[in-house]
Amino acid sequence: MTTIPNARYIYARAAAFILVILLCGSVTHSYAQEKYPNRPITIVAPFPPGGVADLTARPVAAAMEKVLKNPVVVVNKTGAAGAVGMASVANSKPDGYNLLMALSSISIIPEADKLFDRKPAYTMDQLIPIALISADPTIFVVSADRPWKSVKEFVDDAKKRPGQISYSSSGVYGTLHMAMEMLSHAGGISLKHVPYSGAGPALTAILGGHVDTLASGPAVVIPHIKSGKLRPLAGWGAKRVEALPNVPTFKELGYDIEFYIWAGLFAPRGTPEPVMKSIRDSVRQAVNTPEFKAAMEKLQTPVAYLDAPEFRKFWDKDAKMLANAIKRVGKVEIPEAK
Amino acid sequence: MTETLQNLYLGFSVALTPNILMYAFVGCVIGTLVGVLPGVGPLAGISLLLPVSFGLNATSAIVLLAGIYYGAMYGGSTTSILMRIPGEAASVMTCIDGYAMTRNGRAGPALAIAAVGSYIAGTISVVALMFLAPPLASFALRFGPPEYFTLLLLGLLALAYMSGGSMLKALAMAVLGLLFGMIGIDPMTGFSRFSFGLVELGDGLGVVPVAVGLFGLSEILLTAGQPTAPAVTKPRLRELLPSREEWHDSVWPIGRGTVLGFLIGIIPGSAHIISSFVSYALERRISKHPERFGQGAIEGVAGPESANNSATSGAFVPMLALGVPSGPIPAVMMAAMMVHGISPGPLLISQQPELFWGFIASMYVGNVVLLILNLPLVGLFVNLLRVPYPLLHPGILMFCVLGVYAVNGSVVDVGIMTLMGALGYLLRKFDFETAPVVLGLVLAPMMEMSFRQSLSMSSGSYSIFITRPIALTLLTVGLALLLSSVISFGMRKADWRRRLGFAGAKD
Repeated sequence: MTTIPNARYIYARAAAFILVILLCGSVTHSYAQEKYPNRPITIVAPFPPGGVADLTARPVAAAMEKVLKNPVVVVNKTGAAGAVGMASVANSKPDGYNLLMALSSISIIPEADKLFDRKPAYTMDQLIPIALISADPTIFVVSADRPWKSVKEFVDDAKKRPGQISYSSSGVYGTLHMAMEMLSHAGGISLKHVPYSGAGPALTAILGGHVDTLASGPAVVIPHIKSGKLRPLAGWGAKRVEALPNVPTFKELGYDIEFYIWAGLFAPRGTPEPVMKSIRDSVRQAVNTPEFKAAMEKLQTPVAYLDAPEFRKFWDKDAKMLANAIKRVGKVEIPEAK
Repeated sequence: MTETLQNLYLGFSVALTPNILMYAFVGCVIGTLVGVLPGVGPLAGISLLLPVSFGLNATSAIVLLAGIYYGAMYGGSTTSILMRIPGEAASVMTCIDGYAMTRNGRAGPALAIAAVGSYIAGTISVVALMFLAPPLASFALRFGPPEYFTLLLLGLLALAYMSGGSMLKALAMAVLGLLFGMIGIDPMTGFSRFSFGLVELGDGLGVVPVAVGLFGLSEILLTAGQPTAPAVTKPRLRELLPSREEWHDSVWPIGRGTVLGFLIGIIPGSAHIISSFVSYALERRISKHPERFGQGAIEGVAGPESANNSATSGAFVPMLALGVPSGPIPAVMMAAMMVHGISPGPLLISQQPELFWGFIASMYVGNVVLLILNLPLVGLFVNLLRVPYPLLHPGILMFCVLGVYAVNGSVVDVGIMTLMGALGYLLRKFDFETAPVVLGLVLAPMMEMSFRQSLSMSSGSYSIFITRPIALTLLTVGLALLLSSVISFGMRKADWRRRLGFAGAKD
């Protein structure tokens, strides 16, 4: 075996490779002249894979892909409680290729930025709603080996020892934090908050017995309720959750709180009207495909589709409620170490 | 036992059907390619391919994704060994001795040992996963913030063994890494630190851009700065395989790496990243010739590579046994199951025996596939070194930029990589080692989070670290290690002074 032909072979291969790449480049370029969509659409899920935003974005993307006959890719752009992903879409080119699958926390981050008096990562008016996909009430669960069997027992106990009963959350000022803040406010109790970096780690924490309670979406907690590790006490919805018919809502129990982890699709402001129409149409068709319905059923997440105008109303109301909750929380005080 | 064997038989009857076998193979090939690209790790590969798996049935989907996952762990070692570019955080340690071996003309044996070590670690840890998953999983969940913090504290002690030169310089570099790790949003209060108004910095510095910059780019810059271009190595065929002595030196590091990696891997969170650091430190600590480390010791490749592969299987333990998303990658795998209407949980094994045992069996098959795939590739990859530097290095540079950009689609990441390349060049010119910087950066955010979570849990009382049995045990082990080093440090003071003088006189 001599060395020279071998090296030549490699150069030849490398040259061929580069040629192929260049050819690919020119092909995509010629496509760019045609109408929307002509290249992959990105849906940014600003939370880690496996979370609610991610699990909702993926079937939506798959169904949109079929409707538009164009690739729709979900990208997890995580960090800063979702601010990185949301800001990246808010500040992206409004051409309809950068969409955002945001959760309720989209209304929280600008408020938190206001609280710290810093330049906001994005403002809510930088994004325009496309459609609401799902709105799941959070479920209040406690670790099965804790004594509370009802919300009343829990609140009574929490009143007796303020700041002692703990809960995990997806992060400070995150949705799960806000849900618990609303409960604390309505029940007149004070709980201990242990933030984690996402809904997954927050679930792991309660399963490991490191915290006492958790508020999270039905799809996340139901498998563990079934296996007997977690006990549901109440839900934040207006109605009971279908899969948990015996779990009362807080409204039934006399607490005037309602909270949903909703997932909705957004586009950056300034996206041209025809493109927006095309996206809205495709989402409307996508959520009605049997594949999408079946996918959401498997995730145990009911579809709660609202088109842009109705979604706008829903969003405004929700954002106001969250802004109030943030103001109540204020800057987080760290207990003094001892 | 017989039941397990029967189940395994069921598993193999699933895994060896042509269909599933093909998905395992495709997964391994894609994973290897993903791993070879600098900067693109298993998570990026798996996330990109998740939607593809929607169209498959649940078993095929899981087998495909698992193949990508461990394929990427295999592939990650290639660029580390050949070019000193870590494909992901877990292969940072492989860069040190793996690349030193390449410079000594032993690239083939380094790649071969990495592949064989990964194969052995992968296979043994699947056996462990099969027999020990349920009891280990419940134990793993007992690792809450205080336990996690004390474990990471042990990881910090690994620093002492990361540098062959001055201890002072190594510690300075670790502190630099820890400081880099402070950048980003405060996880407890939401306050931004050192982010200079860049939202992308809110999440801190990514480990991959920093590692690629500090290791890969700095190496390219250093080579370019040499007055005469280094001779192109021309590996001969018979030098592709490890010598008898190298095999002998690698057996125990592979074994220890496997056990260590598996144990660290089962702990929920991102602790698996430190498995390769800890393994490297361990090998160096017990080696009779610690001075060989950094100069191309094959143990420094065999241990960490085995550890990061068995950590891969370890990470599946809590996911399969309890349905807990114990890390970013198991979370994606769980999502893949959930979109098929399967909720991973304590009931998975009894409700979906074909999926569970098929998955286990496919991991055996996948490891064999990877070995068959990777050993012949050693010859091909080594031949890349024949390419003269003026052609090779710009190519590497391009792939670094592409890879680092591709992971988050972030230009900021590319900027970080470039800055870190310049910093790495300067540091290495002044004879500082860069591995402790990466370890510091990996540890700082995890340590901070778990430390402050612990104090939140205890309402600010430090006693939480000594009242919980696992945390107390880990603290005691750490303290004992520290004391033993201090004692031997004191006893070998003269030797240490000589070594320090030697390190200073090297340049």
